[in-house]
Amino acid sequence: MNPALTGVLADGGVTTGEAVTFWILAPIALAGAIGMVLLRNAVHSALSLVLTMLSLGVFYVLQAGPFIGMVQIIVYTGAIMMLFLFVIMLVGRNTRDSLIEVLRGQRVAAILLGIGFAMLLGTGLARGIGSIPAVGLAEANVNGNVEGIAKLLFTRYIFAFEVTSALLITAAVGAMILAHVEKKPGEKMDQKVLSRARFEKGNYPGPKAGPGVFATSDSVATPALLPDGTFTERSVSKVVPARELTIAEARPKAVNGSKEYGAIK
Amino acid sequence: MSLDMFGHDPWWLILIKILVVFVFLIVSTILVIWFERRVVGRMQHRPGPNRHGPFGLLQSVADALKLALKEDIMPTLADKAVYFIAPIISAMCAITAWAVIPFGPEVSIFGHKTALQITDLPVAVLVVLACSGLGVYGIVLGGWASGSTYPLLGALRSAAQVISYEVALGLSIVAVFMLSGTMSTSGIVASQAENPAVNIFGLEFNVPGWYAILLFPSFVIFVISMVGETNRAPFDLPEAESELVGGFHTEYSSLKFAMFFLAEYINMFTVSAMCTTLFLGGWRAPWPISIWGAANTGFWPLLWFMGKLVLLMFFFVWLRGTMPRLRYDQFMRLGWKVLIPLNLVWILVVAGIRVSSEQEAGTAKTLIIGGVILLAVGVIFFYPRRKQYQAPAVADLGVGGFPVPPLDLKVPPSPRTKKIAASREATGVSASTTTEEEG
Amino acid sequence: MNDIQLPPIDYAALLPMLIVFGLACVGILAEAFVPRKHRFAVQATLTLAALIAGLVTVIINRDLEVTTIGGAVTIDGAGLFLQGIILVLGIVAFGLIAERRLERGGAFVANAAHAADSDGDKKQLNEAGATEIFPLTLFAIAGMMLFCVSGDLLTMFVALEVFSLPLYLMCGLARRRRLLSQESALKYFLLGAFASAFFLYGVALIYGYAGSVQLVAIKQSVLDSDKSGVLLAAGLALLAIGLLFKAAAVPFHVWTPDVYQGAPTPITALMAACVKAAAFGGLLRVFNVAFETTSWDWRPVITAVAMATMIVGSILAVTQTDIKRLLAYSSIANAGYLLVGVVSLGGAVGSSMFYLVAYGFSVLAAFGMVTLVRDADGEATHLSRWAGLGKGSPLFSAMFTIIMLGFAGIPLTSGFSSKFALFSSAWDANQSALVIVGVLSSVVLAFPYLKVVVLLWLNPPGDETPTVSVPGYLTRAVVGVGVLATIVLGVAPSWLLDMVNSAGTFLAK
Repeated sequence: MNPALTGVLADGGVTTGEAVTFWILAPIALAGAIGMVLLRNAVHSALSLVLTMLSLGVFYVLQAGPFIGMVQIIVYTGAIMMLFLFVIMLVGRNTRDSLIEVLRGQRVAAILLGIGFAMLLGTGLARGIGSIPAVGLAEANVNGNVEGIAKLLFTRYIFAFEVTSALLITAAVGAMILAHVEKKPGEKMDQKVLSRARFEKGNYPGPKAGPGVFATSDSVATPALLPDGTFTERSVSKVVPARELTIAEARPKAVNGSKEYGAIK
Repeated sequence: MSLDMFGHDPWWLILIKILVVFVFLIVSTILVIWFERRVVGRMQHRPGPNRHGPFGLLQSVADALKLALKEDIMPTLADKAVYFIAPIISAMCAITAWAVIPFGPEVSIFGHKTALQITDLPVAVLVVLACSGLGVYGIVLGGWASGSTYPLLGALRSAAQVISYEVALGLSIVAVFMLSGTMSTSGIVASQAENPAVNIFGLEFNVPGWYAILLFPSFVIFVISMVGETNRAPFDLPEAESELVGGFHTEYSSLKFAMFFLAEYINMFTVSAMCTTLFLGGWRAPWPISIWGAANTGFWPLLWFMGKLVLLMFFFVWLRGTMPRLRYDQFMRLGWKVLIPLNLVWILVVAGIRVSSEQEAGTAKTLIIGGVILLAVGVIFFYPRRKQYQAPAVADLGVGGFPVPPLDLKVPPSPRTKKIAASREATGVSASTTTEEEG
Repeated sequence: MNDIQLPPIDYAALLPMLIVFGLACVGILAEAFVPRKHRFAVQATLTLAALIAGLVTVIINRDLEVTTIGGAVTIDGAGLFLQGIILVLGIVAFGLIAERRLERGGAFVANAAHAADSDGDKKQLNEAGATEIFPLTLFAIAGMMLFCVSGDLLTMFVALEVFSLPLYLMCGLARRRRLLSQESALKYFLLGAFASAFFLYGVALIYGYAGSVQLVAIKQSVLDSDKSGVLLAAGLALLAIGLLFKAAAVPFHVWTPDVYQGAPTPITALMAACVKAAAFGGLLRVFNVAFETTSWDWRPVITAVAMATMIVGSILAVTQTDIKRLLAYSSIANAGYLLVGVVSLGGAVGSSMFYLVAYGFSVLAAFGMVTLVRDADGEATHLSRWAGLGKGSPLFSAMFTIIMLGFAGIPLTSGFSSKFALFSSAWDANQSALVIVGVLSSVVLAFPYLKVVVLLWLNPPGDETPTVSVPGYLTRAVVGVGVLATIVLGVAPSWLLDMVNSAGTFLAK
């Protein structure tokens, strides 16, 4: 391996570049991890985690493991955290943790135990590996990092590697079981069937009336008025519960620059 | 050409290289916008921009200036920090990917021998993938942070789209890795230089080195998924203007919008450059030119590289000019049910051929060939066929089997014109009875 | 680059696992290609065939002692016996999983994707249950088999995940009380993932100490490593957390009652019997092979955990009012007894395995009988509903009584012989304190079992006493085998004791 590209010396020492990068990114990684736990907004929390994972990816690259570093970035930050964000955004941006403690004192206990555990492990590790020089890096990467990993995967850990496929199959099947409703033959509606059903007798083929937009309210839960002055239930989505609107909800939405907005916040 | 030649440049050379690449990206973005508008214009039988400068070349410069001077709007419901960071992430990731794109061979600059490439890594291709994977954060976060419905929908679409198509994209590169035996971009270009001898069923012949020919299925899949990855038509669902106004960037304006714009075009260059590097021989001259010995030395390769790049950009524009946008579920089905399985089967076939060509005839070879045949038969046998359309047992209400609104819709008479209404009464009834008989 | 050579692979040694893994994959394909109405028959046949074929190959391999496939798998007497236990108990548990006569469509939900109590959920009430459960069971059992014979910690981790993931899933697939079931799946999954992280962190630290994750190499490095012992101690502690979680030892037991209660009862039975065997198989192997020479470091800790497990499990079992939770706490207490076997190291391996067999059969029969007491809403698990069942269903009550007496450790049942064997070998290993705590806690634990017996026979039946359903052939077979094993192993345990003792111990080279 070309030491100029990896920043790692063959004897396991640390180059200046590596040290500088580490001391810049390590606090960022830590801050990201802490922010992940502390931030209230779920998206901000996920973003902090992205930051931590990104820094970890860079650390792996720094430590002469460019393959694992890049895979960390592609798989964890690129795909997995993106899925997290996807779900969080689907669930909604206003979903926040409830502050009610189900177990009394659990938060304090968790913080204390967490700090205690971190200190225990941190001091233990510092004592355990503080004085040990790193060895074996040159031998591991002798044919290149990617080749080294490939060799380990396909020799010593071939069985674990193969068995992992069982894990992936299980995960795929699990996702199917939990998310996929199997349609029975004939149950699936294609475009033709749907359009035919739309023009069946007894069905109104036009678009449904929109919800009512009045001076008093612009909520989707307000039904529209028919020409004769009665409400039409067709204009309100089935999933919107029929209920009295609060004053805040009935108030018109905010426009850019205005201070007050009730219905959205 | 090996990786050892990288990482020894003096700092000023690195700085020059980075600056040149950066300026190249900005300038070519401006040029390509003009190019795109002119080409699409030709395709639609209109001239396109032709007022400012020769052939309208300065149109994009004017547009860029105007864009920068527009009012910067921050929506009330936006998540301020994220809204601000999103376009920066997008543009930054797009530009970073160019650090590992090889423009040409080793040349001499001010007495220093150096490659026309900022740097290279053993895993350079993965760096590009990582950059495109991170670049999506810009789109997704921009859409989410706008605090508005259409951008959010655009962001959701984008997240799903890029994850799906990155899998196909990544898998299509695997075959290239297997043949070239390296993940570094310069190494892949070098490995396409030779015409390898291939032994298939005892026949020995030389094949051209371009992986676009050797690995044609991979190439096709890469080209399809690179369009999906860059959110370009016909896969531009995150910003589908007829459905989502402007998609994820609906709420953006001024320089922030310009950054998204820039990122989109740079991403197009990036995937085109990757396509060139991985499948089209990189900066190496195409066949008739390559007979000329000096074609692959000095600064000439820059020309071949740019030529290939422009061709691919034309391809992007061509797609935009001619293809209608896919429906979202069809688009996802294409990615997950066609591209990825095809890709996996193809990788298996390539691996099989690779192993069998290294071995003498034996059980392993027979097994592999038998396996490939079995697989092909299985695919043909089990490939889900589209069901034949069956006409419904009861005829439709409409005309000629097409469901159309019933023809007996009556316009209610206006109460103000009693006279006319009275005269219509008789005819209206007769008309409705006749249509019912017809139906 | 071309020096990558596959390590030598002894396919015969791997065959039992390969069969189960392979047929699980075939089961997945069957799910995709076999028409719906034949799926159940095909899947059930495949699963049973895989388990029996696996068992037959294990028996054929019985004298094999080999470390193969690059040191990832160590086939030895104890490992093969554990694989055999898992397969036999798996075959018995299969009877409960495949049972479809007690309830229309079996114990599993047809489409888990329908939200609980939604329109779609109400429509599918009488539909046949999901058949994916069978390949998932096979994957879980194959993972457990690998877990018991892993030669290195990395393979062990993969095996741990392979058998855990299907279990997490299957816990959430109950046909009745779906929210409770889903909650149990989520709890199990989150806590399980947390424990896996501890396991992995432990592996990393141990690698830092030993320079290898192979159990044999770790043992060797303990003797000649110059690295700080802190790494080894911290790694071992974290590793043990991951393992003890699966074994449901205190203080890593909190998931057990909720998960046992919420999961579909056949899956609870599978967890109580097979997972227990696998978890203790792994624990025994790790402590006997890799850390035998460091036993001075970990013995006090594991002893404390064992005592806590026995005491907490038995005392909390007394307060339970739900039969599934009661059995869950009893399984925690039993984990404590098995930990006594772990602490006693080499000499107690045989008796630990005997205990696993005895307990496995009894607990399968117990959960099998829990599925039989039903009312309109499914299983009636609250203890008050069991009052006076003896009047209407004497045969059922008699069998349940036998199982309860077995759990309580009354002589002439397997519970007595297995506890006796385990405690006597622990006594030989100078673990007298543990034995005393064990005996005392079994006395405490006998109380809730006898309470159930009293409830069954002496209390008058109430208006709400549910009926005991007529079991199908499969459940009948499961309960029959379980009760029979409980009696046979109690009356004549010597043949099995000879077998476990001659099965030898773990291969440590």
